[in-house]
Amino acid sequence: MSYIAGVDIGNSTTEVCLAEIPAGGSLRFLASASCPTTGTKGTAANVHGIQSALKQAVGKAGISMNDLALIRINEAAPVIGDTAMETLTETIITDSSMIGHNPSTPAGAGQAVGEILHIQNLSNAAAGTPYIIAVPKEYSYEETAALINDAADRLKITGIILQADEAVLVENRLRQKIPIIDEVSRIEKIPDEVLAAIEVALPGQSVRMLSNPYGIATLLGLSPEETRAVTPIAKSLIGKRSAVVLKTPGGNIHENVLPAGEIYLQADQSSTINLDEGADKIMQAVTNAGEIYDISGQPNTNVGNMLSRIKKGMSELDQSQNADIRITDILAVDTLAPVLISGALAGETCLEKAVGIAAMVKTQKLPMQEIARILQEELNTEVTVAGVEAVMASLGAFTTPGTKLPLVILDMGGGSTDAAVITDGGHVSITHQAGAGELVSMLIETELGLGDRHMAEQIKKYPLAKVESLFHLRMENGQMSFVDESIDPRFYGRVVLLAENGLIRIEQDIPMEKIAQVRREAKRKVFVTNAVRALKTVAPGHDLKNLSNVVLVGGSAEDFEIPEMLMEEFTNYRIVCGRGNIRGSEGPRNAVATGLVLSYLGERR
Amino acid sequence: MIIKKPAIFIYTFRPDPGVLKEICAGMEEEGVFYEIAEQTDTTLDALAWNAANDSMLGCGIGICEQEIALQIKGLKLGHNVEYYCCPSAQDSRRLGANGARAVKKQALR
Repeated sequence: MSYIAGVDIGNSTTEVCLAEIPAGGSLRFLASASCPTTGTKGTAANVHGIQSALKQAVGKAGISMNDLALIRINEAAPVIGDTAMETLTETIITDSSMIGHNPSTPAGAGQAVGEILHIQNLSNAAAGTPYIIAVPKEYSYEETAALINDAADRLKITGIILQADEAVLVENRLRQKIPIIDEVSRIEKIPDEVLAAIEVALPGQSVRMLSNPYGIATLLGLSPEETRAVTPIAKSLIGKRSAVVLKTPGGNIHENVLPAGEIYLQADQSSTINLDEGADKIMQAVTNAGEIYDISGQPNTNVGNMLSRIKKGMSELDQSQNADIRITDILAVDTLAPVLISGALAGETCLEKAVGIAAMVKTQKLPMQEIARILQEELNTEVTVAGVEAVMASLGAFTTPGTKLPLVILDMGGGSTDAAVITDGGHVSITHQAGAGELVSMLIETELGLGDRHMAEQIKKYPLAKVESLFHLRMENGQMSFVDESIDPRFYGRVVLLAENGLIRIEQDIPMEKIAQVRREAKRKVFVTNAVRALKTVAPGHDLKNLSNVVLVGGSAEDFEIPEMLMEEFTNYRIVCGRGNIRGSEGPRNAVATGLVLSYLGERR
Repeated sequence: MIIKKPAIFIYTFRPDPGVLKEICAGMEEEGVFYEIAEQTDTTLDALAWNAANDSMLGCGIGICEQEIALQIKGLKLGHNVEYYCCPSAQDSRRLGANGARAVKKQALR
């Protein structure tokens, strides 16, 4: 009796499949294990990850590492993916021109126009001029209300801007009701004596006058040219509950188009595309290019740097003489990123246009033999490099109940989306496409303005819920879930992620519906686009109608919604498409590792 | 018919006036009503727990001299949502605001 292990080193996880081969008997699978890949795929650093995955598997099977007779490692596909984001527009405020934000409790409702007057200068104010009073947080709500009540008899006060969160407290103590905005953090930046318009929306509504260029023109008496100039202000105030617009003489706000990089395609049909033409144009050029030999980017731009970075990363991996390192595919996706407006007074952001790019670099071969050698030395067990990854994955995927040849596998990982077709005759054709799980995480991070990739990864992975009371949650699909023990008050009222070992709190105050929509769109933009692209490449006659069975494997096939999205997409082509279930028990994981064990049996015969 | 205003109850025992004022300001800013009642109880946990159970909104605050606690109906005695001993003005204001936010089903600060 001998024990054999198949090891698949992926971009993000290392998988092991352990089997027992009795002398003359048939193969019996014993255990599977999975660990995060240590280091970049194809480097000696992977050995640690392999060892811990192997330890996990032998532990589960109740044998020792010394019992292993053979370890088979995959000939990993020599591709690495990387992502970059390029912002295409930026909004700049020169001099302060605008404050638009969503304090939780503004007070009063309606609009007001007046000259800005800081409260400490109340005694210098002229009768007859309408004023909007700016109050720093050093003044308590009682002081503020008393001062304004006193001044109200001799001055015309139309509105108040507060630095502290005390709008309701001040309003409750005022004799006359006027709109009040609070929580304006950088109140000292508001210049005295400039004309300002202020608006607080009615409960449940958003500002109407200040989010309309003609509304601003009406309130501030603007010329047609000035009205044109305030259009970006109006645009960025859409949806806000309260806003202030200042008319500063030298002040201006404009939308800049940033010089985005160019991408150079060396292909049958070589071309140059500017990123600001948008994702559709870029993808059109990639489709029309025919066979792509290499892709490079304009130096010193985000995209240029990203493309040279991944080439450099690959050249460090493949230091062989005949290394032929080329970028052969990119995926571009249009996105909107909330970017902090430079010159803003209350941390306002504006949605700027951006393009997310995933690229894939290819070389001849990864130094897998080196990994095998180190592993063999450390474990004192025979280690061989066996089989092309896509072929092994196909063999593994074929153990899914209900599959038949010709079979297509769609391997959706972290860095790339790969497809392979095995025909009835056993012929295999393969393609690797740039863009997978990591691009989805980047899009989620950017569009939600998280500034935290780890949180974006978690949002991608887990469904959402809102903690509505200390005893119940409302899921994103509307379902309610009650708990026996009260939920930690830190989660109260928050949007949370339903992870395996408890709830994860999302710090940012973003509505659950918005997070869910961004997450779904990101997955759709990347995986549906790439699945269609990949399958068209490998399908006989490049026609999806010629495919019948598609099995989804890889880490992203475990996702709770991607497989359903693809199923819906492929219904039109009458393709049987679904999440793989390797060996009828492993789900979409472990296909390559299982294939490595199965192929050993084939070789022995 | 008995008509009672839905309010957060604040049960006090010799409360520090500064602390009480800030707690009330926190609730007022959030726009939720409150009622204050002096009690003979001397334990903070019981003050807060009783206040939460008696309040129609299911939310109560206990103030025992310099100690303050926020409770929500349904939680066990002593399992306060928030607690401070000798709170700063901001702490008191936040606890009051959090009581109101809990009633409005908004995230606590």
